[in-house]
Amino acid sequence: MTPPPLLLTVNGRPRPLEGVPASERLIDTIRWRLGLKGTKDGCRTGDCGACTVLVDGVSTLSCLTLTHEVEGSSLSTIEGMAEDPVGRAVQEAFDRAGALQCGYCTPGFVVALVGLLRERGRAASVDELLADLGGNLCRCTGYLSIARAVALLQKEAP
Amino acid sequence: MSSLTFVTPASVDAAIAELRTGEPGEVAVLAGGTALLFALEGAKAAPRRVVSLRRLPWRTVDWNGPVLTVGSTLPLRSLERDPELATRHPGLFEAIRAVGSVQLRHRATLGGNLGRASPASDLIPVLLALDAEVEMVGPTGARSLPVDRFVLGSRRTALAPGELIRAVRFPEPRPSAYRWQRVRPANDISQIAVAAAFSPSAGSWRLAVGGIPPRGVRVPEAEAMLLSSRPTEAEIRGAAERAARHLTIATDRRASEEYRRHLVETLIERAVRAVVESPKGGR
Amino acid sequence: MIARPRPDGRAKLEGSTVFGADLDVPGMLWAALVPSPVAHGRLRSVDLSPVRALKGVVAVGAADLDALLPGSKRDPDRPIFPTNTVVYRNQPVAAVAAPTRELAHEAARAVRVDVEPLPVVSDLEEVFPEWPGSNAESSAHVAAHVRAREGDIEAVFRAAETVVRETYRTSSVHQVALEPHACLAEVKDGTWRVRTSTQTPFGTREDVASLLGVPEESVVVEGTWVGGGFGGKGAALLEPFALLLAKASGRPVRLAHGYREEFLLGRTTLPAVIRMETAVTSGRIVGRRVRLLLDVGTSLPGRDFATGYSIGFLLGPYRTPAFEIEGYAVRTNKPPFGPHRAPLAPQCAFVLESHIDHVAREAGVDPLAFRAAHLWKEGDTTPMGQPVGPFGLSAVFEKARAVAARWRAEVGPDSGVGVAVGFWSTGTGAGGEVRLRLSPTDLTVIQGEREIGSGSVLAGVASVAARSTGLPRDRISVAYEDTSRAPFDSGVFGSRTTAVLGRAVEDATRSLFDELAKRIGGAGPVRLVVDSGEIAAEQGATRRPVRALSNESERAGGGIVASGRHYGKAGSIDERKVEAGTFYPYTDFTGAAHVAEVKVDRATGTVRVTRYAAFQDVGTVIDPATAYAQVEGGVVMGLGTALTEEALWSEDGRLLNASLLDYRIPTLGEIPPIEVTLVEGFPGAGPYGAKGLGEPPIIPVPAAIAVAVRDATGAHVTELPLSSERVARALKLL
Repeated sequence: MTPPPLLLTVNGRPRPLEGVPASERLIDTIRWRLGLKGTKDGCRTGDCGACTVLVDGVSTLSCLTLTHEVEGSSLSTIEGMAEDPVGRAVQEAFDRAGALQCGYCTPGFVVALVGLLRERGRAASVDELLADLGGNLCRCTGYLSIARAVALLQKEAP
Repeated sequence: MSSLTFVTPASVDAAIAELRTGEPGEVAVLAGGTALLFALEGAKAAPRRVVSLRRLPWRTVDWNGPVLTVGSTLPLRSLERDPELATRHPGLFEAIRAVGSVQLRHRATLGGNLGRASPASDLIPVLLALDAEVEMVGPTGARSLPVDRFVLGSRRTALAPGELIRAVRFPEPRPSAYRWQRVRPANDISQIAVAAAFSPSAGSWRLAVGGIPPRGVRVPEAEAMLLSSRPTEAEIRGAAERAARHLTIATDRRASEEYRRHLVETLIERAVRAVVESPKGGR
Repeated sequence: MIARPRPDGRAKLEGSTVFGADLDVPGMLWAALVPSPVAHGRLRSVDLSPVRALKGVVAVGAADLDALLPGSKRDPDRPIFPTNTVVYRNQPVAAVAAPTRELAHEAARAVRVDVEPLPVVSDLEEVFPEWPGSNAESSAHVAAHVRAREGDIEAVFRAAETVVRETYRTSSVHQVALEPHACLAEVKDGTWRVRTSTQTPFGTREDVASLLGVPEESVVVEGTWVGGGFGGKGAALLEPFALLLAKASGRPVRLAHGYREEFLLGRTTLPAVIRMETAVTSGRIVGRRVRLLLDVGTSLPGRDFATGYSIGFLLGPYRTPAFEIEGYAVRTNKPPFGPHRAPLAPQCAFVLESHIDHVAREAGVDPLAFRAAHLWKEGDTTPMGQPVGPFGLSAVFEKARAVAARWRAEVGPDSGVGVAVGFWSTGTGAGGEVRLRLSPTDLTVIQGEREIGSGSVLAGVASVAARSTGLPRDRISVAYEDTSRAPFDSGVFGSRTTAVLGRAVEDATRSLFDELAKRIGGAGPVRLVVDSGEIAAEQGATRRPVRALSNESERAGGGIVASGRHYGKAGSIDERKVEAGTFYPYTDFTGAAHVAEVKVDRATGTVRVTRYAAFQDVGTVIDPATAYAQVEGGVVMGLGTALTEEALWSEDGRLLNASLLDYRIPTLGEIPPIEVTLVEGFPGAGPYGAKGLGEPPIIPVPAAIAVAVRDATGAHVTELPLSSERVARALKLL
């Protein structure tokens, strides 16, 4: 049975997709069909957060999501973060704080943080934000520079 | 796996009809999908059809006087962020915060967690302590069961073929607390977890222990030793010891039997004290 | 604490950095490995015919190697696919490739593997429940044996006031870089080309060539950006399989691990049992005996570096007049032991520091004073007879002691403070080379290492170049070339990168300046300056723009090129003390002293680190931002080793917790505030006296925490990790 066509809006652009099998995961659609490799393939079991994307503005583990389940949704990936003032502010804060090393966890952190700011408000407290980032693993930085980036980000929140 | 089909029924009746076709194990229900995809990735499940519940009207939180009814496909994070939850059901709030990560809770649902009936579920002990009722709907109509008659064992529930969990109903706000022990505080599952609640209407306690296969259970022998809303230290210690002795516990790679018994005792004491000392507790 | 944007920061923040698993080329096939279903067995047959019947699927097994590798000289001790016996669970017995990921997994499952199970040895204590007898060396289970001594230890023990004997057990831990191994291979016109996530492009090239039995020049390794290595990406792993499939299919082949495979096939630190015996008279150590049993999985005999190197960290950095150390590398049915960050050193420091702390208490001496009285200083001789070079250990130790005293005075109930030390040696590998290319506007360091995350390549090497040439940092970049074009370097491991490549940069700078001097034709030293946006060379009163000093082919080719190299040498030990095996000298002496403050939940045994201070003996700070980042990252990794990380093996050789849920690395919410202090002044083997900083910061962490737990509660835990259950047992709660 041919799967129905599927419409996703990806980083603001409509992307109709044909022939996406029902078993396909969002992470694979994003990376291999849409060619957007910035979303990282880490554990595929929902434990590391590297695959985090925004589905209708809500942070989601793309490795645990079937693509057909989000048919019709608006998807934001790391590639779209620079087109958004909050996304840019997060990237700027991480850059200035040197809050990355190998960079593999970085897209997941940026997108998760943008999602949190949408959810809790741009002026959310640093403690609240850090408490909600437990789903993103990092092995290189020891998280301290990431915490400093969040503090820098919120110190300069409008 | 590439022969999998995906359907998104637009109504409850259509969803029930989808479930009735196919052999057991061939049809999988998709609420949040986090547990399902985890099982698919590990090749532990191989359904032929996935029935998505996304179009059903069950993403609801309904406060009706004292009664809270939570739709089964509401993402846990939405429930967590409901402004009333932390004050009216603090134990439930604490338990939800213990589940996975924010990203996971954006998709994971109460219905999915209950339906999966994992022995490690952080929510089932609290549901037991709150005397929650599971509302189901199926080919023969609607029915409901208390949680302890809904969860039958490890990954086994009382859902009949074609039935879906529609909602979970919490009859009354209770001072409650959830205490757990894990290897790390975030993004983990509990070695032992305890939910304690005091029922104002019944004037009695509920103590439920999770993390022990096959399923979370209440410990009525221990509950009976707490004689009022402000139990004495001796009563609390007695209840905790009783529960630790009474439960059937095995050693596994996450913790030994002796350590788990010790944790049951410690966490029951802590959970009860937390309830007593909470703003609405001890009255 | 100094933060600054990284040269690779923007691209990584935008998600445009390409890692191995991101590579995607037309016609690419997806590969999967066929795993052995048992940990030990006689391989009767591997039947690829069900797979070959599938459309578009290619399969390679042991029987295909002669045809794929005609005339090759493959190493018989390291077959690509086993032919007789499988020796660890999931050992690849064949490999398949197909047009999609799903088909590849289906094909791998379709291969029929017939194995007759044999008894599995999963636990080294099954092999040696007690310390082995003298004929153990010839046992098939022993991969390596090392032994050294000084003096008559039995006599010393008999005469001593106190002898303290303890046994410790440490667990297997994984590197857990967030990026799994991944590569893309292509074979064309006799060239075996692979793009891969590796810490060692040249090492991987050598490995691949030796495994395939082909000349090194026919192998080209192009490193991709690496999502963390920590020792786990320091040798070929997936590349040979991908290359064979590429040869068999004529197509590019992608082979990447999922996270489960990352654990199941990971080569890493395995369990150890360590017996420590220390004799004390009048508050001084008079003799020590150290016995190490190290599980090395299926490491080949003679190919074991771990035991001979690691055992030194059980002895030093403490002076002892008499000693006996002996180690056995024990084979079990697990993948081979592989390097982790400071391989086995955090475990050794945990054992040594916990033991020394315990010995001091038994001898009635203040533990910190006891340490101070025995720490190596410059001019001492190590037990293995090597002179101790400039060593800042005492300096960092005294700072740590001062902080510990302050914290102890403030500490609340069930809280404690612990100090622990560690030492390391800046690595060398064989050595490294670079080229410098000076254009009219900038300087490029051309070299063969990819940035694996720490910044040692992009920032560290660039900082040395800035210092050696005098040019501003923003005029300097570090460029990567693959093994067919880059000058040789041993790899990013062993805390050697900034040190060795940095010294090579210094050498190349000298050579560049000599060349510039020749072209200017004056007398005296050359300087580089930036003048109206362009670089010029000055000698005395003469200033000539680089543009003018360059010839036509240099102007076309990007600039004036100069080469430099550094092949360091470690010191030497006194071989007369060695009775068996190989011991290793140190290149320099890098110290670290850490302070941990912990709060212990006395009812559950849960340990929380509430604050932490790390004092590092760094020689010279080359790039401050990179240095602080390394220490912070290393400390948090050590936190995992200390408290939550433990790979669990079943009796039949199965890794039970092969997932990021069940193998727990620290999360953001668990980390304490960490104060980092970099202490300069005790020069090491790197440029300007720098010491390598990749590994030292992880070493004292489990030790500091264990000593703090004892300070808080009296509980003396002799196993790693300090899980809440182990602490609960040590507190006699169960």
